[in-house]
Amino acid sequence: MKLLVCVKQVPDSTVRVKVAADKRTIVTEGITWAISPYDEYAIELALEHKDADPGTTVSVVTLGPARARDALRQALAMGCDDAMLVTGAGAETLGGLATARALAKVIEEARPDLVLCGKQASDDDQGLVGQALAETLGWPHVAIVTKFTSVTGGTEIWREVEGGHEVWKAAGPAVLTVQKSEKDPRYPSLPGIMKAKKKEIPEKDVSSLIPDLASPGLEIISLEPPPVRKAGRVMKDGDVKAMAAELAKLLRDEAKVV
Amino acid sequence: MKIWVVAEKKGAELRRISKEAAAKAAELGEVEVLELHGSGEQRSSSHAGASALAARAAASPPDLIVVGATPAGRDLAARLAAKLGWTYLSECAELRVEDGRAVAVRSMYAGKVRATIAGALPAVVSVRAGIMTVVDDAPPPRTEAVQVAAEAGLEFVRFEESKASGIRVPLGEARVVVSAGRGLKGPENWKIVEDLADVLGAAIGASRAVTDAGWRPNEEQVGQTGKTVTPDLYVALGISGAIQHLAGMSSSKVIVAVNKDPDADLLKIADYAVVADLFEFVPALTEELRAVMGKA
Repeated sequence: MKLLVCVKQVPDSTVRVKVAADKRTIVTEGITWAISPYDEYAIELALEHKDADPGTTVSVVTLGPARARDALRQALAMGCDDAMLVTGAGAETLGGLATARALAKVIEEARPDLVLCGKQASDDDQGLVGQALAETLGWPHVAIVTKFTSVTGGTEIWREVEGGHEVWKAAGPAVLTVQKSEKDPRYPSLPGIMKAKKKEIPEKDVSSLIPDLASPGLEIISLEPPPVRKAGRVMKDGDVKAMAAELAKLLRDEAKVV
Repeated sequence: MKIWVVAEKKGAELRRISKEAAAKAAELGEVEVLELHGSGEQRSSSHAGASALAARAAASPPDLIVVGATPAGRDLAARLAAKLGWTYLSECAELRVEDGRAVAVRSMYAGKVRATIAGALPAVVSVRAGIMTVVDDAPPPRTEAVQVAAEAGLEFVRFEESKASGIRVPLGEARVVVSAGRGLKGPENWKIVEDLADVLGAAIGASRAVTDAGWRPNEEQVGQTGKTVTPDLYVALGISGAIQHLAGMSSSKVIVAVNKDPDADLLKIADYAVVADLFEFVPALTEELRAVMGKA
């Protein structure tokens, strides 16, 4: 089976994101960049399939600025077979629909059986590119996926919904947008890191894939940190029952939430 | 301005988030509330739903399509926006229309940044629970059915029910959330969490440590790689408050934190910070709440 995973490089989840002085961008200085968490889960699902069926190949593609090459290096070190960087002027700020159009070009050439990506990137948190990619390719998609397996005549795909999972069967190629699943993404092994260093990562210019980079654009009017919460009332060192009674009354009479 | 709201039902009732979306849309223009109907018992895919809506839009396009940002709603909205080639804004906490543009306040970077973003109409937007206050006994809006055909190449096989979550309120829509973390010491101790949640009519959440340990299902996780919640009351039990967790819940209206460790980060942002042994305090609080809420 031929799998292709689309990933995005974003600020690492432990980074304290700061809004820049222009109030429209974030401070990128000193940021540690990483593969977006759900994309890491997508890589892990693909690699688990490869573990079970060594005939599987896992390709990884990203669209972004030159630094996104590090995300591909990481994916290769985790065990992906090959990687491609789509970059060039405009790549960093490309809209969701245009990103999907560019990635679709790469996918049409690579002809994978399944495309996986995270259900949303943890920078803009939009959750558009996977669905838009399927739409551009004219493929079905299944979102919020936690598992997939090959069966006779296609692929069975588990979609997390409230209260359980729906199981869907795709007869042909499909796009899967991946949710956090049971196994945490693996760490790269030392031999994996050594091997990844030697691999060549071909590059494509985004404007060679899609001449028109415009897509329904979003304008960021302003960014701000979430409202700062002040420390509230502290209750300690008291009789547990008395504290519980006081809190219950405060929640009713002061906070008015019960 | 013409607006469509794509509603979801829970049983025979419109979901609260759909009612909120309809109420918000009614502030902005003239609303049609639509409901997707598959054929027979078959569940329809979000692609099939998007195709049916796009066909309807081709005949008489609205200026704006509003969907509740449930997991299924977001999925549908994204495919629909791509199909129509329209502006897409997801998980809007506030929404208005200005100079032919949809303007939304939404969180980015998993809740670490609040963004005000604009995009040209026509647009598809998904809105977060709490975008409007609707009273429970308000008459539900009239809905119109949209027939959805099956999708070629993708078929629904079966539904597998999860054991843990039961019949509680969905986490993303709950007005009250009771979350617990590693301080509970083990999955066998969740009874005190459930008892408190029952009295409050709350959804149950969990910290990442707890879902990663397999004590609780992933769908209960609050924070990055889990759910972002904005309830009226968030009660955190034995959760220290990693930055990824705080990002997912710090926009809650009122926060109560209970922790034995006085240095826990969550205590520092809580409106009511209780330093106590939760195994003693939580059952006592459940009793007291039962009394003040008249559920004795």
